[in-house]
Amino acid sequence: MTTTNAPADALVERPSLRRARLRESLAGYGFMAPWLAGFFALTVGPMIASLYLSFTDYDLFAPPEFIGADNYARLLSDPQFLQSIKVTVIYVVLGTPIKLAAALGVAMLLNAKRRGLGFYRSAFYAPSLVAASVSIAIVWKAMFIDDGVVDSSLRIFGVELGGWVGNPDMTMPMFILLAVWAFGGPMVIFLAGLKQVPGELYEAAEMDGAGRLRQFRNITLPMLSPVIFFNLLMETIGSFQVFGSAFIISGGTGGPAGSTLFYTLYLYQRGFRDFAMGYASAMAWLLVIAVGLITILLFRTSKAWVHYQGDAK
Amino acid sequence: MPSRDDSSRLRRDAKRRGRLGSLGYHLGMIAVCAVVLYPAVWMFTSSLKPSSEIIGNISLLPENGSLDNFATALAGIGGVSFWTFFVNSVIIAVFSVVGVVVSSAVAAYAFARIQFRAKPLWFALMVATMLLPFHVTIIPQYILFQNLGLINNFGALLIPKFLATEAFFVFLMIQFLRGIPRDLDEAARIDGAGHIRVFGSIIMPLLRPAMITAAIFTFIASWNDFLGPLLYLKRPDLYTLPIALRLFVDQTTTSDYGAQVAMAVLALIPVIIFFFVFQRYLIDGVSTQGLKG
Amino acid sequence: MSAAGALVLAACSGGGDDAGGGEPGSGGTVDPDEEISLTVVWWGNDDRADRYEQAIELFEAEYPNIDIQSQFQAWPDYWTARATEAAGNALPDVFQMDLSYLSEFGTRGQLVDLAPYAGGELDTSGLSDALLASGQIDGAQYGIPQSTNTLALFYNPAIVDDLGIEPPTADQTWEEYVAWAAEAAAAGADEDPRLYGTGDFTGVLWLFVQYLVQNGHEVFTAEGDIAFTEQDVIEWLNVAQPLRDADALFPAERTVQLAPLGGFTVNEVASEFSWDNFLAGYLADSGADSLEMLPLPVPEGGERNMFFKPSMLLSAGANTEHPEAAAAFISFITNDAEVGSIFGTSRGVPATESARSQLEAEGADAQVLAYEEEWTPEITAATPVLPEGFGTIEAEWLRLAEELGYGHITPEEFASQWFAEAEIALG
Repeated sequence: MTTTNAPADALVERPSLRRARLRESLAGYGFMAPWLAGFFALTVGPMIASLYLSFTDYDLFAPPEFIGADNYARLLSDPQFLQSIKVTVIYVVLGTPIKLAAALGVAMLLNAKRRGLGFYRSAFYAPSLVAASVSIAIVWKAMFIDDGVVDSSLRIFGVELGGWVGNPDMTMPMFILLAVWAFGGPMVIFLAGLKQVPGELYEAAEMDGAGRLRQFRNITLPMLSPVIFFNLLMETIGSFQVFGSAFIISGGTGGPAGSTLFYTLYLYQRGFRDFAMGYASAMAWLLVIAVGLITILLFRTSKAWVHYQGDAK
Repeated sequence: MPSRDDSSRLRRDAKRRGRLGSLGYHLGMIAVCAVVLYPAVWMFTSSLKPSSEIIGNISLLPENGSLDNFATALAGIGGVSFWTFFVNSVIIAVFSVVGVVVSSAVAAYAFARIQFRAKPLWFALMVATMLLPFHVTIIPQYILFQNLGLINNFGALLIPKFLATEAFFVFLMIQFLRGIPRDLDEAARIDGAGHIRVFGSIIMPLLRPAMITAAIFTFIASWNDFLGPLLYLKRPDLYTLPIALRLFVDQTTTSDYGAQVAMAVLALIPVIIFFFVFQRYLIDGVSTQGLKG
Repeated sequence: MSAAGALVLAACSGGGDDAGGGEPGSGGTVDPDEEISLTVVWWGNDDRADRYEQAIELFEAEYPNIDIQSQFQAWPDYWTARATEAAGNALPDVFQMDLSYLSEFGTRGQLVDLAPYAGGELDTSGLSDALLASGQIDGAQYGIPQSTNTLALFYNPAIVDDLGIEPPTADQTWEEYVAWAAEAAAAGADEDPRLYGTGDFTGVLWLFVQYLVQNGHEVFTAEGDIAFTEQDVIEWLNVAQPLRDADALFPAERTVQLAPLGGFTVNEVASEFSWDNFLAGYLADSGADSLEMLPLPVPEGGERNMFFKPSMLLSAGANTEHPEAAAAFISFITNDAEVGSIFGTSRGVPATESARSQLEAEGADAQVLAYEEEWTPEITAATPVLPEGFGTIEAEWLRLAEELGYGHITPEEFASQWFAEAEIALG
């Protein structure tokens, strides 16, 4: 769905003077100047700098000292680093599909002509605006603590789990619930996608005697695949960047027992608590490479399951 | 129940399912609503309860409701009032909105309306930055701002906003502009208007819906931002609400959940107001992005 | 008797005269006509903020031309913020310093050598030589100790009573203490909430340091290297192994959820090791009528060998434009009797006789004073020298202790992982 092509007329030669073209170029760069400045000073420059720093030992005080690939070698034998990868991967692999499934399910329920839809839609969307806030992290922690509302409610049903906050096996489900709770973002995008599916398709399928499940599998999923792909890509990349809620709930430690040591949190600890800037830069670059590979992989596999309609844009 | 907008089919369905189906639907939806909104409702009612009633008590209704928690929260932390944090958050959010909207609109105009040779390359690079994890730039940016003396200065948080570094919003506006016919601005160009005039008097007004969407999302993101202020603001009198909240949680050594939750509620109020006022823009804004993306 | 033993109670004088670095009294004085603004920063909570505000008011009344801008952070943020400022040459004029970070900042030239101000704006005569020396590195006076503390075993008599067991004693060995804690946990198993004798005390690095000193080991070399072995760490962790095996330690799950409170302050644990100046905080948080303090257990056939530690120091940032005013402020906070009574023992037992002179004669402050007085004969060891990077290895120790508490690692893995991290942190 991402169309990166500039409009075709961009390249059409106009019967104009060279001077006019030059003037257009100047105007173009003039308007782009703030973005260009940001692009070079705050994105490209820093990227190169962090690549360099990742091969150095740098603590903000003494000048960076070149140490070759030591940081990368150390990372591979750092149990905390491996733990942070494990935590993040589990979160992304479990959290993203559950969240998207919830979003799609609710979007389909909302794709009807009934009263009160506006209300439901707003109610479901609201959590996604605040889920990453410190306020909600505080609320989440208070809800999932020993004798908190979740523990007490489960006990009514005879489930004795204790507080999730203190149990390293239960903190991940707690974070995944927080992620799934914010299903409203992808939901509205699914909803927009569903509105574009031509009704005749379902009508024809119904005539053929196709049940709901087959309609879903043969019509909804293929027609919606570009939107699913977009959501999958955005949510996956977003999941790698979780920070605030993990920071608040674990008090910045990534505990208990490293069970909430998300990649971003560990990078923060190394970079901005221990001031191991080189080490943290190496972590950042490994993440860039990993995210790049995942993006490429998603795009590759998307050819097999994403169906773009000729007229869809 | 996947459905569609075709009215004849709907009518047929309605006859068959009748009122019972409708009742079931609404009951189901209300049940989902209850689950989704429960944390929010719990949060509001807990803020009215004494701390001892918050944990170990699943009843939503406070038995001894009072505003004491809010009084504690508004008193602030160690001599810095709640309103100081609030004002800091407002300043940063307002300038972020201005910065993002203006810089993104300017860049989007160049991408969508001015023709020059290297533009496709720049466009591809801009889109690529949307997928770039922020981790890779955050350390050198920090070193840069620190060398510029921008620690404990809102500048470190605001400068990137004025340089259109949030490629997502530039992209959003480009897509929006592509949907607007060129007749108006081309006519103006033929009449001899320069790009600045065309941008100011024709494009800006047309771009308003996309600008509103960008403004709302920027406001909410900036209001909730935790990492940025955590890195750059080290003085309590400069703290924004999220950082203050975190300090508040650490400082109340007696685990005063009531006051913590009350402060959490206060910190969310602007977002909630924003949501009620702009929810239509918000949701429509999101859906158009999805479609045009 | 070693010099350190005399830190608190001996009202000795004349410290600072030989502090080196610069000629005492050569630092210049505050110009009373110049309008001066100083930033002062500390770590702590609301309660400490109130006390500092009061103390600052007194100072500003004494020096009307000096305006103090104060701020504070919680402990972990505090050091992140200071490190950032140090890198940007923007440290506060005066800030609270901890022994674990003194050499990190001092050796990098981030702190003012206060020796030249001694005898001038800075009155160090109320501090003992030994205590004053703890704020020195290579002869330069980088921090002025504010107060001292020493480790203690706190226990809650009400809980011990509930459990129906004898309280711990002052002359117990570590082994006996562990046996007592096992008995307490067994007695508390049927209570709701379940009661325990102790939490995993081996997770406190300072207690390990104290244990090494008791056994006559050097802890860190003068070069800032570790002087003990992985085997020593394992031996220490194994002191609590019988409790771990019997599930008789306060569970890590609870500890994590109670933070920032602990098992002891929510009255579910009968005893806890900590610094003696925590008493007032413990009393306030737990709501207990009284808490008792005992000296540390003795090692089998060894000496008690406890030590005093400066619980905090005040330092001046090297970039300050008004070192003389900074020295005056530090001096005022260190010596003023009214300031002493404002802080009480909340920052530790005040370092100077004058600051102690108006302490309350009863309550927590009096109990802490009495504790240190009673056990001074046993407080015989010198404060171990801490290497640069101690703060980092202390945090790592705590992290691994949590992993150990959850049973995710063994004492052997604890030791090897901690050493791997310490090698990097200590360079």
